[in-house]
Amino acid sequence: MRLRQLHLGDATTFAIVALVACGFVSLLRIGDGGTTLISIGPYLQRVLIFSFVQAGLSTLLSLGLGIALALALARRQFPGKEALLTFLGTTMVIPTIVAVFAVLAVYGRNGWVAQSLKSLGWTGSISIFGYPGILIAHVFLNAPFVAKVTLDGLNLVPAEQWRLATSLGFSSGQIFRHLDWPALRADLPGLAILVFLLCFKSFAIVLALGGGPSRATLEVAIYEALKVDLDFARAAWLALLQVAICVIIALALHGVVSRPPAATTFRGPMQRVDAADYRLKILDSVILLFGLLFLGPLALSVLVGLGSIPDILDLDLVGALMTSLTIAAIAGSLACSLALAIGAAVRHHRIAQASPRWAALLDLVPSALLAIPPFALTAGLFLLIRPWIDQARIGLILLPVVNGLGALPFAYRYIAPRLMQAEERYGRLSESLGMRGLARLKIVDWPMVQRPLASAFALTAALSFGDFGIIALFGGPKLRTLPYLLYERLGAYRFEEASALGLIILTVAFLLAQVSSRLSHAHD
Amino acid sequence: MFSRIVFALLSSFLVIGTALAQAKPVLTVYTYSSFAGKYGPGKAVKERFEAACNCQLEWVTAEDAGSLLGRLRLEGTNTKADVVLGLDMNLASEAKSLNLFALHDMDLRGLSLPVAWTDDTFVPFDWGYLAFVYDTTMLAQPPKSLKELVENPSGPKIVLQDPRTSAPGLGFLLWMQKVYGDQSGNAWTQLKPRIVTFTKGWSEAYGLFLKGEADMVMSYTTSPAYHVSVEKKDQYKAAAFEEGHYLHVEIAGLTRTTKQPELAKAFLAFCLSDSFQSTMPEGNWMMPVKTPQSGLPQAFQDLIQPQKALLYTPDEVQENRRAFVDRWLNATAR
Repeated sequence: MRLRQLHLGDATTFAIVALVACGFVSLLRIGDGGTTLISIGPYLQRVLIFSFVQAGLSTLLSLGLGIALALALARRQFPGKEALLTFLGTTMVIPTIVAVFAVLAVYGRNGWVAQSLKSLGWTGSISIFGYPGILIAHVFLNAPFVAKVTLDGLNLVPAEQWRLATSLGFSSGQIFRHLDWPALRADLPGLAILVFLLCFKSFAIVLALGGGPSRATLEVAIYEALKVDLDFARAAWLALLQVAICVIIALALHGVVSRPPAATTFRGPMQRVDAADYRLKILDSVILLFGLLFLGPLALSVLVGLGSIPDILDLDLVGALMTSLTIAAIAGSLACSLALAIGAAVRHHRIAQASPRWAALLDLVPSALLAIPPFALTAGLFLLIRPWIDQARIGLILLPVVNGLGALPFAYRYIAPRLMQAEERYGRLSESLGMRGLARLKIVDWPMVQRPLASAFALTAALSFGDFGIIALFGGPKLRTLPYLLYERLGAYRFEEASALGLIILTVAFLLAQVSSRLSHAHD
Repeated sequence: MFSRIVFALLSSFLVIGTALAQAKPVLTVYTYSSFAGKYGPGKAVKERFEAACNCQLEWVTAEDAGSLLGRLRLEGTNTKADVVLGLDMNLASEAKSLNLFALHDMDLRGLSLPVAWTDDTFVPFDWGYLAFVYDTTMLAQPPKSLKELVENPSGPKIVLQDPRTSAPGLGFLLWMQKVYGDQSGNAWTQLKPRIVTFTKGWSEAYGLFLKGEADMVMSYTTSPAYHVSVEKKDQYKAAAFEEGHYLHVEIAGLTRTTKQPELAKAFLAFCLSDSFQSTMPEGNWMMPVKTPQSGLPQAFQDLIQPQKALLYTPDEVQENRRAFVDRWLNATAR
């Protein structure tokens, strides 16, 4: 890297890394050297192995189902498809406890499946605790997101390529190999890392559906160190271990699959020639039917909250809704600005500076952020800013910041590829025209980035909207979000009202996703 | 126009004047969020204390008792807390080792606690027995003792909380330890096939139970009172165990860094008053440490009354928690 060409995004990335690092150092320092380096005992080893297997399987299944759904949806048109696509963008936002209850409502001992089987005269007993429960919950949360992102990617294949494929009379197999696969390959590594990390860190779901302490994740150990042993140094070391593992996995995946250069042109909706292949018709029906049977009941089970909606309509709800929306808006803006800055820096280094290694390193930062346990990050930042900021306001500041950082990887997925495209498509042209600075931003980048930016904003806002991790630490009578109200009810035996709140959170997330998909599917 | 300006000036003086008059001392009390939350007793406690103290009570909340302690540890002597309300006995020793708490100097004899209270730092403000809660319409014959639960291979399925992340989870771990001693590892192995799962917190476990995933759930003897008082459902009961029940005591203490020790002490004394104690049963769903003059609500009088309290001292808990948890992990994490 040449220093004189330092990009604004570099500074942003440094700032993020420095902020996180300072948080860690303060955590380590308050541990007053009591703990030496962590020892990884046999239990931690087992937990690590389990985390790898569980996260790996969850990722494979989520990607498998997600990609199959995306291909089927790309080939087929049917009424209600738009609503279905919107729903796909929603499941990620479901609070974990709502997801756990949804899985049990369908597959539990007294769930819908067990009841239907019993009404058919079956006398056995279902238990999904262990791998089945964990995998069902993770695939339910992640596969729709994979499908959504992959479908967006498939829709970017240039119209010229489709015309060419049609005139050359490509078979379905050739279409997949030459048109779909390159588009999939571009999205796969990023998606795989994202899903893997989410599952690797999964905490409440793994404990609730795992069936025993052998099914735990590193995050449980971090939580224990932080909240039970009050051993902050150990928590920080464990968190670093988790980050290291995740970065190694991310690096490995980056190395395996390199991103092909993008060559998109604008296009309207395409009628795919392979839609007529009868074998694919059968395959797609099977996939869509399976997807519907798997995801439909889980989504429907959330609707049980409907009956208790009248009980929760009060001023508290309005206040919490406003707080949630405000925090989500700030967190979303933060995540999108950071993603823009980092994306621009990566592009600058990859293309203008021809230093792809540095670019790849910057590219990793958002993924690495995802690996940082939010508890540890929050505790570190809390220590960092406490001397300067009033007690009562700390939550108000940390909440959007930590949520924003947490949502950054998702925003980055949307924004960075489009920034790269803008450069690949118009970079040389604008260079030769001598277009620089603001003018270039306005004429070249903005039209390309506008829509992904809007959908990234909607998604990150929704993610922050559904977050409970951080609000749990700072929430109180003066700072309440919707998820906070939900957990408050759960803690006070009011499970039905809690499910009504879960439904409201999902509805808002659905509306945000609706906006997001409108914006990302809008025609040019 | 002129009169308007005069009016505006006058009224602003008035506002400032009343603001000055209201500059009462502020007592900052740290507590867990459900205590100060919508359904907790916090609101009533604040109103009643402020009516008598000529001060302002400010709640600062953390997620749960463990987080309260974590927050204190992070803040150290810079903490703004005057009083910390809502730690429990299992955390008392660790809390003391922070060297942040002052002695309460109160006479704590004659409390309606199942054990005599001798601690000079912390004041108990409510308590409850742990117990398995079950649905009488689903389970007619609950086990009559912990031993029966553990040793009957065809006994009911139970859902527990992880002792590393949850207070009742740790409580049940100590209960097993108290009854089985050195044999607790074997007992866990015996019980394991009937444990549906160990959840992160009480809410998940109780939710799983209500959804029918387990026949019994680890909770408190007071849980059925909620279903009776609020939901008018009487099918939920707590199972009485012959060996006795593990005791959960919630405690409060004043910090030695407080700038208003008199006010903080007044609040601790208030915690034992009728106006505070009467909010405990149906506000916090726990037993008061001093029975209010009006007596207990009917739903509480109908609860099971365990005859024997099982309890480790806070020091024993601090010393052995790691070893107990490791033993539990060895027995259950295979």
